[in-house]
Amino acid sequence: MRPEPHQAQLVVRDLVKQFSVRRQERGILALDGINLAMRAGEFVLLLGPSGCGKSTLLNIIAGFLRPTSGQAIHGQEEIRGPDRRRTVVFQDYALFPWMTVQRNVEFGLKSQGIPPKERREIARHYIDLVRLSGFENRFPHEISGGMKQRAAIARALAPNPDILLMDEPFGALDAQTRVLFQEELARISSETRKTVLFVTHSIEEAVFLGDRIVVMSARPGRVRAVYDVRLARPRTAATRRLPEFVDLAQDLWESLKPEWQEDKETRQA
Amino acid sequence: MSSSTVRSIAGFVIFFGVWQALSSVGWINPVLLPSPLQLCAAAYELMAQGILWTHTLASLNRVLTGFVLASVTGISFGVALGWSEALSDFVRPLVESVRPIPPIAWTPIAILWFGVGDAPSYFLVFIGAVFPVFVSTFSAVRNIDRVQINAALSLGAKPGLLIRDVLIPAALPVIFPGLRIALGVGWMCVVAAELIAAQSGLGYMIQQNRVLLQTQNVVTGMITIGVVGFAMSALMELAEKRLLPWMERPK
Repeated sequence: MRPEPHQAQLVVRDLVKQFSVRRQERGILALDGINLAMRAGEFVLLLGPSGCGKSTLLNIIAGFLRPTSGQAIHGQEEIRGPDRRRTVVFQDYALFPWMTVQRNVEFGLKSQGIPPKERREIARHYIDLVRLSGFENRFPHEISGGMKQRAAIARALAPNPDILLMDEPFGALDAQTRVLFQEELARISSETRKTVLFVTHSIEEAVFLGDRIVVMSARPGRVRAVYDVRLARPRTAATRRLPEFVDLAQDLWESLKPEWQEDKETRQA
Repeated sequence: MSSSTVRSIAGFVIFFGVWQALSSVGWINPVLLPSPLQLCAAAYELMAQGILWTHTLASLNRVLTGFVLASVTGISFGVALGWSEALSDFVRPLVESVRPIPPIAWTPIAILWFGVGDAPSYFLVFIGAVFPVFVSTFSAVRNIDRVQINAALSLGAKPGLLIRDVLIPAALPVIFPGLRIALGVGWMCVVAAELIAAQSGLGYMIQQNRVLLQTQNVVTGMITIGVVGFAMSALMELAEKRLLPWMERPK
């Protein structure tokens, strides 16, 4: 079920990213020859230990970073900078603290020059979708972390992007809230039918959300394996108890364990 | 009234009460330091003659002119140098070596350049106020959260919207305290300038009355300076609260 490059919405080809380090001739090789293709409407998970370059890859696709060599292509165009057809949900929300929830969600519409009345209505729709109605006029510091992340998701969806890029968006939430958010995101993504690229280091999260899981390894960052997730949608709390769910999570854990143990040991050293 | 307001007022009452008591029993020489009641009489006299108003307005005019010039210059340079690494390399060491010269040390050259009158005061206020504004703006721009800029760009923000809706509001909470400090420094500078280089203003009034040994007028002038400075600072704080309602403030 891998998409052929010609029918893909997003293609990453032989991507290399090297960060220069002061007083070192050879920098750090963050990404080494990444290939990836995503179909429209597909939900792809990037899974790997910290330092595997998964966030770097997402930042290149978002257009925040330029690759050292290789290409990232969205539609027919090479990605050369940020674009509102690819919006981002950040781990620490990155809401604008000087704007209310409503104005935050409207921001991407305002930058397209959509008139105030229309953008108010569109924003209302997305605020409703993420279940934040009633909190439109609050400032970010007046709402909880979970609500901030809802607002950030609404803000990223409002300009109607082709692709939603999510960089460990639930990393700052507590374990219970996180599970609830995964279920909500599964609902929202099937309602909006967006292509989603989601970065995480949680195996459970990857299996629960993904159509496909791209497992990355660290130093240098490479694609190590790709798994298809054949779990029916919509995914709900019951999905987590299915034997297929448990088996796939177990497989992933077995294959990742050596590297994660090593990662932990080198960090402790 | 909250208990903290009550305590603040009590502090004033006790301070002036003790001062008055010491003066009344004759422990304080009224030529060196007049009593609070003498000061009230002097203030009433100066106000009735319109002298206090004229001098206060002259000082206010100077401090506000100098402050506006300093704000425009400080913010412009702060934004430019904060934004451009290269420009900052050229100018920053120069700025940092001029900054430690106290405004009062500029007085002789200010008189040399501008004579006596309003101009040297504008200049000295400018010198005192421009650096706090510059430094706060510079660090505000330098420390803007890159992630917020990225968020704005990925939502399609063009340069105009990025500056107006993201960069300026992100920088204001750091710039504002700089402006407040600048106004305070400017107010000190204008009085210092008027002691030497002016024919009006509160500083001039103090200097005149010292020569005439009218100590009660000298101290009245000093208290006026304190009260006006306090009021300006409070107004700036109020403006900050009004303009930045989204700031998290410790209660």
